[in-house]
Amino acid sequence: MANVTFILMTMLATAAFAEDRTVNVIVNIDVKTEELTPAQLRKIFSMRQTVWPDGQAITVFVLKTENPTHQALCKNVLRMFPYQIERLWNKLAYSGLGDKPIELDNVQEMLKKVSTTPGAIGYMLDGSSTESVKTIRIMENSK
Amino acid sequence: MKISVNLLVLLGFILLTASFAAKSSDNFNWRGFVAQGIIQGEHSNYIDDDGDFTLKLTEVGLNGSYTLENSNFRLAGQVVYLNGGNRYPEGLRVDYLFLDWRAITNLDWQVNVHLGRVKNYHWLYSSTRDVPHTRPTIILPQSIYFDAFRDVALGVDGAAVVANTSNAWGDWEFNWSYGSSPISEEQTKNLIAPIATGDIEQKFVHQGNLVWHDQALRLSAGLLDSKFEYNSGDEDFFINGEGQIQRLILQGTYETQNWLLAVELFRERSVYSNLIFAGFNTNTQAEGGYIQGRYFINKDLALTTRLDIFDLDRNDRDGEVRAAESNGEVPAYFGFQDQFTLGVSWTFADDWQLQAEFHRVKGTGRLAPVFMPNTMQNDRKYWNIWGVQLAHWF
Repeated sequence: MANVTFILMTMLATAAFAEDRTVNVIVNIDVKTEELTPAQLRKIFSMRQTVWPDGQAITVFVLKTENPTHQALCKNVLRMFPYQIERLWNKLAYSGLGDKPIELDNVQEMLKKVSTTPGAIGYMLDGSSTESVKTIRIMENSK
Repeated sequence: MKISVNLLVLLGFILLTASFAAKSSDNFNWRGFVAQGIIQGEHSNYIDDDGDFTLKLTEVGLNGSYTLENSNFRLAGQVVYLNGGNRYPEGLRVDYLFLDWRAITNLDWQVNVHLGRVKNYHWLYSSTRDVPHTRPTIILPQSIYFDAFRDVALGVDGAAVVANTSNAWGDWEFNWSYGSSPISEEQTKNLIAPIATGDIEQKFVHQGNLVWHDQALRLSAGLLDSKFEYNSGDEDFFINGEGQIQRLILQGTYETQNWLLAVELFRERSVYSNLIFAGFNTNTQAEGGYIQGRYFINKDLALTTRLDIFDLDRNDRDGEVRAAESNGEVPAYFGFQDQFTLGVSWTFADDWQLQAEFHRVKGTGRLAPVFMPNTMQNDRKYWNIWGVQLAHWF
């Protein structure tokens, strides 16, 4: 029983740890944009902004809602609740306004897809290897 | 509206052709949903004439969108099959089908223009009112989402502009639309009376609303203006007539980690001329709205409670004046409809949801037909609605 408690506590601690960690927003290396504000990122991840300023289509990759990295993105970068953004995706996808992002199973797949898809955007926990992609600088909303 | 019907057929043909041509393309997306429930509107004709439990709670939809390569154009369409009993006409219909032009897009401004059969994006749930997993309850608050008016309120054959921007004060959205909706024979009977043999033609409906929001709070104000004409039919009890509806809607939502609070309030002016006899004229102002709380126990389980209020005439909130004018033929409780709702939504597996709810209703002011109320079947001031629905989406 003590072991089970220990494992559960470790899992909870890991999840909480991941949620509080810094998340880097990554893009395919051919994307010309260098920096974005949280408001701009909210529009991209909520699928309202569908092209980069140069006209290239944005392909949005996300992890599952319950994934701690996804929760950290919502909480620390987008400053939204994960269910809020999921509701927005559903509304867009069934009213003709837009579509849902592409959901991936894990961060390895995220790195692979963002690095190989032109115009792609995704995210990784800080400290993960991001050699094959570009990291976006996140500015405060100053406009 | 012949032109827009032809336009819709053309757009549909292009969308279908594009979808078949683009089977394996990244430019084409398709999704859908299917839902079946069991429902009862006790002692009323709301769902079924006999007020018993019925399976007339079916919603099926299939949608697709195709982005034209290297362009600012996209086609989007959805076909739905609905059976809601008496709530709205049963059958297959084109829910939306429009050309979406990305007119302005940069990191701070997005403006899209829609042309075709466009959706009503102006109210909180109007654009996805038939999509079970996007709405809080099976039955939406009838003060605003009046089922007998569903087909008219769903969208228009015409044009819409959807815009959003951000600045130092927050995020802003603006929605505008102009056009008209075709009104079926069945819906004419629902709105006027079963004995009506003529046609209602919506001349236009013009809507706009402005939204301000940050991450937790969302506030909106909107206006609607619409004109109708009734053209009497063979041996019709009714004569030619005109109607105008103008509505002001205020909305607010507030979200926390586990709570979602929503409010929508409206005042609606309705003016009808002739129709019953030459020189007949009415001018009433209805008022209503709801306050709704949702508590998310976890990501899969949500409880919903709501109080919805509707008064057909703000100068006759208890309906007594109207009852007296009809010599008691129309009971006073047809002058209002207040509804208390308790519901639960459970996402028990990926893309599967079960919803169950109970409504305690006081009054029958939101039951069709509108002009000549059905006093035989709606003979109770207090009545209940029960419903359970299983939904799957993909």
